[in-house]
Amino acid sequence: MENMISVPMKARVDVPLEGEISRSLPDQMGNVAGAHSAELHQRLLETGGRMDSMGPLKKVYVFWLPGMSCDGCSVSTIGATEPSIEELLTGALPGVPVMILHHYQFQMESGDHFTHLLEQADAGALDAPYIIVYEGSIPDENLTVGTEPWAAKGSLPLWAPADQRQRRSTSEWVRRLAPEAAVTIAIGTCATWGGIPASLGNPTGAISMMDFLGKDYRSALGLPVVNVPGCPPIGDDFTETVTLLLKFMNGQGPLPDFDELGRPAWQFGETVHLHCPRGAWYEEGNFAREFGGKECLAEIGCWGPVVNCHITERGFINGKGGCMVAGGACIGCMSPGFPDKFTPFYKRPPQTTPATTLSRMHGALTKPLRRTTQLERNREPRWKSDATSGWAPQYDNVTLFHRSFEYFYTRIQYFRSELPGRNEKDEEKYASGYVVPPEAAYGKHYAQWLPERRAEEARKRGTYQRPGLSPQADGFETPVQDDQE
Amino acid sequence: MCFQNLPIEFDALGNARLKEGLDPYAYQTRDLDRSKVEKLLASNGHVKDINLDPVTRVAGALSFHTVVDLEAGKVLEAHSIATLFRGYEVILKGRDPRDAMFISSRVCGVCGGVHSVASSLAMEMAFGIGVPPMGGALRNIQLALDFMVDNPVHLYLLAGPDYSQVVIERTNPSLWEAAKKTETRHGDVHGFKTMAELFTALNPLTGKLYLEGLQMTRPAKEAYAILYGKYPHPQTVVPGGLSTTVSLQVLNETQLRIIRTLDYAKRGVFIWDDITEFFYDADSRYQQIGTRPKNLIDTGMWDDPYAYDGTYAGAPEWGERRWATPGVIIDGELVTTNLHHINMGMEEFVEHSYYDGWEDDGVPFRTDPAGNPIGPNHPWNKETKPRSDQRNWKDRYTWSTAPRWDRQVVEAGAYARLWTTAAAAKMPHTRFLQATGTSVKIDTPQTAALPAMEFEWKIPETWNAFERNRARAYHIVYSLMVAYENVQIAFDLMGQGENKAATMTEFRVPRNERVGVGFWGAGRGFLTHHLVMDKGVLTNYQIVTPSTFNASPADPFGQPGPYEEAVVNTPILEEFDSGDTFTGIDIFRAIRSFDPCMPCTVHIANGRDMIMQDVTTCACGAA
Ligand code: SF4
Ligand code: SF4
Repeated sequence: MENMISVPMKARVDVPLEGEISRSLPDQMGNVAGAHSAELHQRLLETGGRMDSMGPLKKVYVFWLPGMSCDGCSVSTIGATEPSIEELLTGALPGVPVMILHHYQFQMESGDHFTHLLEQADAGALDAPYIIVYEGSIPDENLTVGTEPWAAKGSLPLWAPADQRQRRSTSEWVRRLAPEAAVTIAIGTCATWGGIPASLGNPTGAISMMDFLGKDYRSALGLPVVNVPGCPPIGDDFTETVTLLLKFMNGQGPLPDFDELGRPAWQFGETVHLHCPRGAWYEEGNFAREFGGKECLAEIGCWGPVVNCHITERGFINGKGGCMVAGGACIGCMSPGFPDKFTPFYKRPPQTTPATTLSRMHGALTKPLRRTTQLERNREPRWKSDATSGWAPQYDNVTLFHRSFEYFYTRIQYFRSELPGRNEKDEEKYASGYVVPPEAAYGKHYAQWLPERRAEEARKRGTYQRPGLSPQADGFETPVQDDQE
Repeated sequence: MCFQNLPIEFDALGNARLKEGLDPYAYQTRDLDRSKVEKLLASNGHVKDINLDPVTRVAGALSFHTVVDLEAGKVLEAHSIATLFRGYEVILKGRDPRDAMFISSRVCGVCGGVHSVASSLAMEMAFGIGVPPMGGALRNIQLALDFMVDNPVHLYLLAGPDYSQVVIERTNPSLWEAAKKTETRHGDVHGFKTMAELFTALNPLTGKLYLEGLQMTRPAKEAYAILYGKYPHPQTVVPGGLSTTVSLQVLNETQLRIIRTLDYAKRGVFIWDDITEFFYDADSRYQQIGTRPKNLIDTGMWDDPYAYDGTYAGAPEWGERRWATPGVIIDGELVTTNLHHINMGMEEFVEHSYYDGWEDDGVPFRTDPAGNPIGPNHPWNKETKPRSDQRNWKDRYTWSTAPRWDRQVVEAGAYARLWTTAAAAKMPHTRFLQATGTSVKIDTPQTAALPAMEFEWKIPETWNAFERNRARAYHIVYSLMVAYENVQIAFDLMGQGENKAATMTEFRVPRNERVGVGFWGAGRGFLTHHLVMDKGVLTNYQIVTPSTFNASPADPFGQPGPYEEAVVNTPILEEFDSGDTFTGIDIFRAIRSFDPCMPCTVHIANGRDMIMQDVTTCACGAA
């Protein structure tokens, strides 16, 4: 079934619904704290002396509007730590105006008292600029004219004249508030691209914020919609972007970079594959055959190589987690086209087999060479035969092949440079004057004359040899000359 | 076990069969009568018609309509309204079943992981696959961590502010005076000397407990992200287990975070004990806030990794071996712990919701896979046909459907899980947790700030908003101890070289007709995913979430949903001079005590007259 997108820019204007009888406000119903959250917020900050933002803006209202969302973006955001939401709310960050958040999960007040601030923004009556953040996709309310909207948030305040009391669809709020917003931010894949509510077969005609506001939309600051995608988004991606924008608005920083789809460019500039901890498995041609394997997940359906995302670099929360880090294949949740461009999930993407075949071939060459070198490198130079490990007495029994490999390898490695312990000025290397018995430290294969000689010199002069001192402090006037040759 | 209202009887062996009759499941619809309320409204100034749109500090889109008699301090009528519809069940139709884990997870972002797991359980049943023990253990940890986020967020960020200084001072000045003089009972544990101090700590933005609610949920989210990639929508849930790469590092980091949050959880129990007791002492009528009959339902959760086999036939056995026992409580009595009975008794009604009925579409399934009878309103037979309409209190007024069990109004919640577990006393795991028949006992080890402690949650004598919140505080400790036990199991399995967490990778999705159901739990309780698949794609997908039960409108028998019932039973104890200063705090406390979550409450859709499944309201509202 094709998407039913119709007349996106003109959301319907509601008519009062029948069945809603007398309301006799204004009154205090729903205003449980006796003041709206924004007022409480302001009061707390003023008494706590936190309103100095080092710039022209003391505060910025942030309206968080939920459309057809699952609330996952909000949940992600309250987990963020770079910065955390409470730092933004309480003025803990110098240079960043305090964020007065208007969010249905945080407000003290309900009902008309909740929508009051939205109304004020609509009427241009706020005392500071505002940002709108939209979570969830936008349904086509043309399909519900005269009946219950797909997604509604609030009615017009009850102190409005009776014939204007209406149910307000969320898209109606967006239509009214977006033109005057300093910045309009779409958070999460539903809001940025459409996401699951807009996927094939949906009954509500859902679209994204960008589609809804159109190509020509510009916020009061002249910016098109800023998109922070993800299903769910990384909380830090959002709070970081908001912080930078707030700093910019306050004259404390540059306008952040956005890419051609309005995404923060430093976050979404590269594919998630580039930072994936399994990337090197891919490069060596090792692919997980079953769930839980530690190799690259390409062949169980990972879309990482073609999806713009950086969860493998940032982690999901506090630097921890991330899809492929934990073992989940990328399903492209940050990408336009999610989910339909990436389903069926766990079916190998078409480009995968050619690509993984090539990397298998590459791996077939590099792997044996690397493993041989690894065997040699993974040893102390003084372990000429077995290692002293009690865990595996026969640890890596070195064969003649390895010895000759090592011989030539070392020649190449030190070609035109100095192999330690051969012709060099040893006293410079062992300048620290440690007192470990040379036998124990080096084994018999290494030149042992220097520490012993130094000990002898020290004894001769009657000085005690202490660790960590320069040769001079040990009583050497001049560096000891190499007299062994 | 017997059903009171459904036409099902049991023979001596306990096998269910349909009672004789032409159309045994038929029912008579009773009209909702508003004439009394309307008359009162028209003639009395102190009777107020109040529309709360939206209700804040709940997850998702909820609005509420009540008629209150301010003079008598009584609520005359209440309507719970889910104001969001997204059509998930419609979107799922025709898709590869494996996509359902990811798509259904997005039904609710407050507890997304529970939906992916319920979905994978349904698929395991349909595909006929099991889960290796490591997968079972990790799944248990996952959901326990989920609750360590969900429940504190509710207690301290959503419901908590209703008990904060700013609110109490405004709505009940005399209570605030009392709070200043009352010493807390457990000040030595949580550090607040007087109740006033405790209430101040619940203040939004500045209160210590409020900020802790933000901060202390982060370690749990970290552990969740370590094991499952992302929170709230996990990336590693697959049919047959998890695709997590398990290592000792992963287990260590998880266990550390569980222990770190345990300290916090232990403290929370004393805080909510003190709040509850303070209100009861101040005015015993607080025991009536949000009260309703003791009818609760739960599917149980946290499978015994060695008992769960993924079959429908085995459900009664593996169900009873869960860390939380499935069950239904009617009038305070446990009537069953059998998952088959729970499934058989389920029906969803849409008489007062914006959906069309599906009676013309035939009844695809007369019985479940075990041969038990199921009715035309059972999720396996239901179709989701959304039809937006005008709001009318006598007719249709919400996007939420009305699920019922045995045609009775039952409520779901984290507390229902504790209740059924306690009453059944069948929970077999006793290292830290024990069900006694009247209580659950939780042994906790020593943690950074608090010594080893034993907690006991007793089945409460009265059932109200305060008991719901208090039980939720116990539930956090309970879930963390389940997680702790399961990390130990995972460590043991690692020691045995058993680190495989999923059955297989190469699925052959069956081509013939299959049905499956996932019985699982969300932060707010009861959750089922029913699926029907054919030719390798889903042909019907139905989600019943806890908030669909709780936020449901009236059913065709005229019985209001649990929120509505609880609000109608709530006495108005607020102190106000006139109608103009009335805030309705008691009503809010009643509603919020359910931890409403609307995103998943509503998940209906309809495509060109095809009937689609609809998701009812869950903690997350409308799907
Ligand atoms: S797991 Fe995915 S993102 Fe990571 S290396 Fe493999 S293909 Fe790339
Ligand atoms: S790796 Fe893929 S699935 Fe994971 S967050 Fe990024 S885009 Fe989404």
